[in-house]
Amino acid sequence: MSSKPIPAETDIMRLAGHQFPGGFYTVAHWENYLLTECTGAELLPNGMVHPVVLFHLPIIGADTSIAEMFALGQAESDLSIMIESYDWEILQPLREETRYRVNGGISSAERCKNAQGKLYDRIQFCFEVHTPEETLAARTTITWHYTRHTL
Amino acid sequence: MSLKVGDSIPQWVMPSVSPERMRTMAAILRDPNPLHWDRNAVDALPLGLGKRTINQGPLGLSYMINMLHAWAGPNCLRRIVMRFPQVVLDGEHVIARGTIRALREEDSVPLADCDIWLEHEDRGVLLEGTASVALPDQQN
Repeated sequence: MSSKPIPAETDIMRLAGHQFPGGFYTVAHWENYLLTECTGAELLPNGMVHPVVLFHLPIIGADTSIAEMFALGQAESDLSIMIESYDWEILQPLREETRYRVNGGISSAERCKNAQGKLYDRIQFCFEVHTPEETLAARTTITWHYTRHTL
Repeated sequence: MSLKVGDSIPQWVMPSVSPERMRTMAAILRDPNPLHWDRNAVDALPLGLGKRTINQGPLGLSYMINMLHAWAGPNCLRRIVMRFPQVVLDGEHVIARGTIRALREEDSVPLADCDIWLEHEDRGVLLEGTASVALPDQQN
């Protein structure tokens, strides 16, 4: 079990509204090829990127990282994060070699208790992915539980 | 495609979840979590999972996307919402399944709202969620 102290609830709650710097992300053909192969599928036609890209494209495109997202919630360790849900909306297919603009931040952060009475912090991250023409192409929401003294 | 509520979506099978693919995925995602590439780290957890790596959440989710693509085409997905009640482990044989919950139109595009899940023969439902899918003749 972690010896890290549980962060103050106020420190968690004030994460809501945090914005990442934002930035751009282009999926290269090699990246789409490897990514699609990992899913067990064939490459999609016409340079379409497999939608599984909607996990890391928004994160890296918004100029953050999984490691920073863990650190913002003061994760006890990389192992202490549990996924509640992923919500991906696709307004138009994403394509290789297209420079997408991404913005994102923390939309909510709250302290919760599970059925066993263990504390965890529920942190929700939202991202928007825009085409070079500034049309919204996708919107994603990641909801993670930062478990405390559980593992 | 003649569809009705309650119809099943043809299943999509991942015969064996690959630890090598988890490693590639970890590198692409810049994911530092050792659960995806270090069997000893998983074994050390008080979860009784043994020396097996844990599949990335997005990879498990992708099996259901593959099922939807095979059914309704590569540009069918409009929204997917996924929860993760159980982990997916390396070497597991898993099956993506789904059924149509509702049929509707949005901006003149016919959509199917589906319940989808990822199933393991012994451990039951590992992932579960919903998806909205544009039906084939109406895709962009």
